[in-house]
Amino acid sequence: MIDLFPPFLLFVAGAALLPFIPNGHPRALAAASVPVISVYLIWMMPEGMHGQFTLVGQELTLLRVDKLSTIFGLIFSLAAFLGLIFAWYVRDTIQQTMSLLYAGTAIGAVFAGDLISLFIFWEGTAIASVFLIWARRTEGAYWTGMRYLIVQVGSGVILLAGMVLQYNETGSMAFEAMTLGSPATWAIFIAFGVKCAFPLLHNWMPDAYPAATVTGTVILSVFTTKLAIYALARGFAGTEILIYIGATMAIFPVFYAVIENDLRRVLTYSLNQQLGFMVVGIGVGTELALNGTIAHAFASILYQALLFMSIGAVLFRTGTAKASELGGLYKTMPLTMVFCVIGAASISSFPLFSGFVSKSLILSASMQEGYYIVWGILLFASAGAFIHSGIKVPFFAFFAQDSGLRPKEAPWNMLLAMGLTASLCIAIGVYPYPLYALLPYDVDYVPYTTTHVVTQLQLLFFYMLAFVVLMKTGIYPPELKSVNLDFDWTYRKLGPAIIRSVRSLIQAVWGALIGASLRGLNFGVATLERAHGTEGPLARAWPTGSMVLWIAVLLGGVLLLNYM
Amino acid sequence: MSTEMKTPETDPAKLPWLGRKLLWLDNMKNVDRIIYALFVLCAGLIAADFMYSKKSYLAIEDIPGFYAAYGFFMSAALIIFARVMRVFLKRDETYYSPKDVESEAYPEDQLSRETIND
Amino acid sequence: MSPELAITLTVLLPAAATLLLAAFDKQPNLREAVSLLTAGALFIIILGLLQTVLDGAQPTAHWFDVLPGLSLTFEIEPLGMLFGVIASGLWIVTTLYSIGYMRGNKETKQTRFYICFAIAISATMGIAFAANMFTLFIFYEVLTLSTYPLVAHKETDAARKGARTYMGILVTTSIGFQLVAIVWTWVVAGTLDFEQGGILADKIDPTLLPFLLALYAFGIGKAALMPFHRWLPAAMVAPTPVSALLHAVAVVKAGVFTMLKVGVYIFGIDLLATTGAADWLMWLAAFSILAASVVAMTKDNLKARLAYSTISQLSYITLGVALATSLGVMGGAIQIAMHAMGKITLFMCAGAIYVATHKTEISDMDGLGRVMPFTYGAFFIGALSIIGLPPLGGAWTKWYLMLGAADAGQIIMVAVFMVSSLLNIAYLLPVVARGFFMGSTGPVAHSLGAAVAPTKGIQEAPLWCVVPPCLTAIGCLLLFFYVGDIYTLIEPVAFPEGRPQP
Repeated sequence: MIDLFPPFLLFVAGAALLPFIPNGHPRALAAASVPVISVYLIWMMPEGMHGQFTLVGQELTLLRVDKLSTIFGLIFSLAAFLGLIFAWYVRDTIQQTMSLLYAGTAIGAVFAGDLISLFIFWEGTAIASVFLIWARRTEGAYWTGMRYLIVQVGSGVILLAGMVLQYNETGSMAFEAMTLGSPATWAIFIAFGVKCAFPLLHNWMPDAYPAATVTGTVILSVFTTKLAIYALARGFAGTEILIYIGATMAIFPVFYAVIENDLRRVLTYSLNQQLGFMVVGIGVGTELALNGTIAHAFASILYQALLFMSIGAVLFRTGTAKASELGGLYKTMPLTMVFCVIGAASISSFPLFSGFVSKSLILSASMQEGYYIVWGILLFASAGAFIHSGIKVPFFAFFAQDSGLRPKEAPWNMLLAMGLTASLCIAIGVYPYPLYALLPYDVDYVPYTTTHVVTQLQLLFFYMLAFVVLMKTGIYPPELKSVNLDFDWTYRKLGPAIIRSVRSLIQAVWGALIGASLRGLNFGVATLERAHGTEGPLARAWPTGSMVLWIAVLLGGVLLLNYM
Repeated sequence: MSTEMKTPETDPAKLPWLGRKLLWLDNMKNVDRIIYALFVLCAGLIAADFMYSKKSYLAIEDIPGFYAAYGFFMSAALIIFARVMRVFLKRDETYYSPKDVESEAYPEDQLSRETIND
Repeated sequence: MSPELAITLTVLLPAAATLLLAAFDKQPNLREAVSLLTAGALFIIILGLLQTVLDGAQPTAHWFDVLPGLSLTFEIEPLGMLFGVIASGLWIVTTLYSIGYMRGNKETKQTRFYICFAIAISATMGIAFAANMFTLFIFYEVLTLSTYPLVAHKETDAARKGARTYMGILVTTSIGFQLVAIVWTWVVAGTLDFEQGGILADKIDPTLLPFLLALYAFGIGKAALMPFHRWLPAAMVAPTPVSALLHAVAVVKAGVFTMLKVGVYIFGIDLLATTGAADWLMWLAAFSILAASVVAMTKDNLKARLAYSTISQLSYITLGVALATSLGVMGGAIQIAMHAMGKITLFMCAGAIYVATHKTEISDMDGLGRVMPFTYGAFFIGALSIIGLPPLGGAWTKWYLMLGAADAGQIIMVAVFMVSSLLNIAYLLPVVARGFFMGSTGPVAHSLGAAVAPTKGIQEAPLWCVVPPCLTAIGCLLLFFYVGDIYTLIEPVAFPEGRPQP
């Protein structure tokens, strides 16, 4: 039976009670206190399997507490707390409850000890999160939300199919390390891959995240993808194909991020790219690499949330997050600018910021295992991260040419949330050892060596030099109001077009068939009319004649049945 | 976007404290100074390569200024490649509308637009 | 009370109550009290029988012989028990809801409505507990006839036309195919009794089995297998409680229940599995599942959309039978319960929306969710259950049916269930999303910086239109956790040789 209080229940209970608490500061306080209690609960949980019970003959384990699940549980709770502070002024009951449910299901999923529990929470995150998109309450957000939901639940049903095949094959629903090979493991792998935004399965993310509400995007950016990282780390650590998938993921979104106009979408592409680093780490699969993946997930949740918060604050004050509309906000929103720059420095792995102490573990691991080309690609990807998130986002929002906008500084709650997140980014960067202590394996890694610092600074300042040179020469692509075609074009334009043409083809054929058969029927009726009609030759014998005929048919039928 | 939002003449008294300090950046000469400082820093970093013994896995890492060159050319290449890519991929903002948020205004009632002049 | 008497009572009690209903024509409160009391009494009797069945007994009641070997007999086995419990339990909910709906909507001829309703329940009990195909067929036809006036209730031209299509297809298929199949079965097997393992093994040339199965599959028109599905959308002209009865409680359920009975007790799962006689049916059911979902997406009328959803969802059960595996039968049986609970919720919500606003088209319902949050909340939960998401009952249906498909080695059928889930989202959740988030009906309290707006402006339908769907929505949630009880009940049928130990 349940011997520990599962943290997800706390969130569910919180979500259920929230509507009854007066809307305003009391409710916001209640919501924000849930993740704080959750941190305490997770911190106090002893390692091992807890919360086991049986449902229709299946052994379910609600709480598998080990270092891997604990660190994800902690960072999810922490990020939920920061997100809820950022959303302190949201008065929409649906958003409030769904934020809590979303965090709760994600935390439930990382502690799930078997595939069935994982599936339950996996689908839970899909359902709860879509409300943060719909809550924008526009036609576009409605459609985006539908697309998002279908992809997310699609990932869930693929997972379910994988589980079914797995169960049919092995009779086990345990969620342990798997080896790719059977259709079952491939299905589970792809299900994880959809939520992890593997290349070509990634479109839901740049589609949906920028469409969510100001606060919704911050919360969305935390959970779903990192849950997938957790699941891959748990199930497929050391699977070589992940290295190549991850490397592709790390460069593919870069180009889109550079030419994208909507800064929240730029950040989404950059999030996708950061996931690529983590996926490479899982693929390499050594202790150092997995530590790097988890540390990077931890750090990236924070700096990515910080970046989304700062651009969210700009959107909140100006009504737009488009680079072409913004610029010159540093004078009126200086604190937001500073926090954005801290986030940018973290994602760019500046020494003393969080990205520096986490990303380098993955790079070192790939180097140690001899994946030199992958290492080179990741270095290239780091350049991308610096260009689009390190420079582009803060530069075009807060500097560049003056847009004429003079918004007020962000409200206190947003500043507080950003300030706390920014402090964490710096704290981790300056003194990473508490974070290292939380990692699943012992860390024997010193991030601050002369070589590492100097080479990293060389990279960063020369990235910056390239940016300056290209800006000055006008080669850097200007920010334009536009959308860029991504793979989602296939199902948003191509697919519907094919369906439309097939449908009109079927309608034409169907119409012709119906027309032909109606003409045939008319002809038949007319012939019958001539024979059996009031003036027809058979009409004279109608009563007895047809009676006999029908009886004969019936008898024939029965006889036929008898002889069969 | 409402036009009254745009009030380019800024009264420094209305700026937050940090914003007033940052007015220093309004002067283009100061921006140029930052860029010169960047040049100096870059030169210094290449020079730094000669002053310590690098711990390296690959021979290529030992070339002085390898990271600097890699950084510069990779960023330049990716920006140029992205620019070329845009030629093929760019579409109008209304391309997917009405089933897309790109061409929509963010709902006013979820914003708190305030300017420093309010 | 002896089990025999109890069985007889379940069939006769609702029928007998019609006399009282007629007598209280002019006293609506008394009339409704009779309906509720009968429903309650019936449910209690059935629960008593359930205990007997769970103890391992199979009580029987013999009425009379028509011919030697051909009799009106009832015998309760687990599948019928499950169907009986669901139908009688939901009858209580539907009766409550009917009171709210019929009064809220000021419908005429309410006494006739309640009388036909009671007869339909009688017939449903007869179908659930029938011991042989003959008895089942008799009550099958009674059910068709008794629901005809319900479908035509509004007495408009559209209602009469819809009811004619309803009656026409159901009667034609049952006489034209099902009766022929029954006669054929009688001729070759010499009996029509439902027996574990079937009665046809070694009695008929296996090459003819698919044809006999086809006569049954299409003859059971109530199962709405394509292409004989048109009666179901046609019957949407009926008042919403009737739609609930048709979809969730009685008619369509009776159809797929008959399919299950025929598959398990006439043919026998082993016979179907070894001869592959049901392979074609599997593909047809899969086609029905997907095609009906696609059609549902194109329907703007909420009830029409739900009707096509039913066609799709109930083909799950046919597919479960056609997979010819124990797990498929288990999944099909569980789907009877899960779909009943989910779909009745959806229909009652659709009715509540109609009573409150007189809107039938989804495109007119933008923003209604904020005005009717309880109705829409219940709809949301029911929809999630139909889609098959945890923690709602419908998730187990998918789980067992997919396991059944995997067990039968039909990977494509696993994919069919996956795609079906996604299509369900595409046609069910727009109602919820547009209801809560689109349009500008009612005050909105969601501004980030805005003052706290009071949540007023909730204008729900009458109480008894809203409470029943909320109850069944909670039922969907409970079924997820209590599916084990259904499993235990069905286990002897699905796994006659004991539970598989994987």
